[in-house]
Amino acid sequence: MAVDTWDGLTGHDPWEGLTGHDRHAACLVAARDGNRRALDVLVADLTPLVWHVTRSQGLDKVHAEDVVQTVWLALLRHLDRLQQPKALAAWLIVTARREAQRAKTTGYDRETPVAAEDLVDIPTQVDGPEQHALRDDRDRRLWTAFRQLTDRCQKLLTLTVLSGRAQYDAVAEALEMPRGSIGPTRGRCLIALRELLDAEGGPQ
Amino acid sequence: MSANNGEDQFDEAGLDMDNLTEQDLLLLAELDVLFDKVDPVPADLVERVQFAIALEDLDVEVARWERAEELAGVRGAGPNTVTFTVEDLTIMVSFAPAGAGYRFDGWLVPGGPHTVEVRVAGHSSTTAEADEGGRFAVDDVPKGTTQLVVHMANGTGSRSRTIVTPTLML
Repeated sequence: MAVDTWDGLTGHDPWEGLTGHDRHAACLVAARDGNRRALDVLVADLTPLVWHVTRSQGLDKVHAEDVVQTVWLALLRHLDRLQQPKALAAWLIVTARREAQRAKTTGYDRETPVAAEDLVDIPTQVDGPEQHALRDDRDRRLWTAFRQLTDRCQKLLTLTVLSGRAQYDAVAEALEMPRGSIGPTRGRCLIALRELLDAEGGPQ
Repeated sequence: MSANNGEDQFDEAGLDMDNLTEQDLLLLAELDVLFDKVDPVPADLVERVQFAIALEDLDVEVARWERAEELAGVRGAGPNTVTFTVEDLTIMVSFAPAGAGYRFDGWLVPGGPHTVEVRVAGHSSTTAEADEGGRFAVDDVPKGTTQLVVHMANGTGSRSRTIVTPTLML
């Protein structure tokens, strides 16, 4: 198994000590060479991104789990076709959105009742009362402020956070925004968030 | 995230990425933590994905879950049926509690003498040959995270294909 020989040959993993984009690029290269553990690292690191993108399409948790798996399985075949490692997050975002839409339009007839708020295209729906999950007052205020942002701001900040600073191309592609407008738009979103947070009271 | 992370790409893309203040970054980091509190990734999802992709052959096609009757019914009586499809193949499987696990009865459309592998996390795989009509049966499938892998019989002159499904929780 490649997994076993890898450590024996090099003594360390090529992604060791790397973070963010560099780490994922190293994992992708290693995964192409047959290092299965590199794939596991990518799955562990980037499943939150795939999960939240999928949920943002309005899928309930059960269907979102299927879609997340489908996306990763689809990546296997695609490993060699990603021309640049940095295209990975973009590919995951675009594929997650496409698969989520597909799940919504075909055979989406499970009887699970869907809460009204789950039908709205928002970045982070919850099945239960979200406030309940947030015990910390600061968290509650930040969440309340965040949810008052425009849908576009919520999506932009969500993808910015989840895909990491190096993945602006991916954010632009997912939002179908010109790349140059991401920076200024994000700046306005952050200002709006801060103002809303102020209105919620308490220290910054 | 390291300070110099991906700077080259930023330059390439002509983006001014460094207009984020420290305060901005802290706020974004706070949101990062918050998202996982509000809508956490299901606890075992990463593990299940890792199981699903731990395949011998990575050149696989993914069959999508087309229709699922309530899996909660698995715990009660009566068979349940799930259907997966990929472009030109439909996989239907019904499973019924039997002994300590399940019995699978399945049907591949179009039929053919394909090999069906049932993978269950923590157990060795079980395989069954479908008959010419595409029917197959697998007894004694243990409970757990389960995945179907269909190794298509080679048609004349065509390369072999492998179809995989997302996992079922049985």
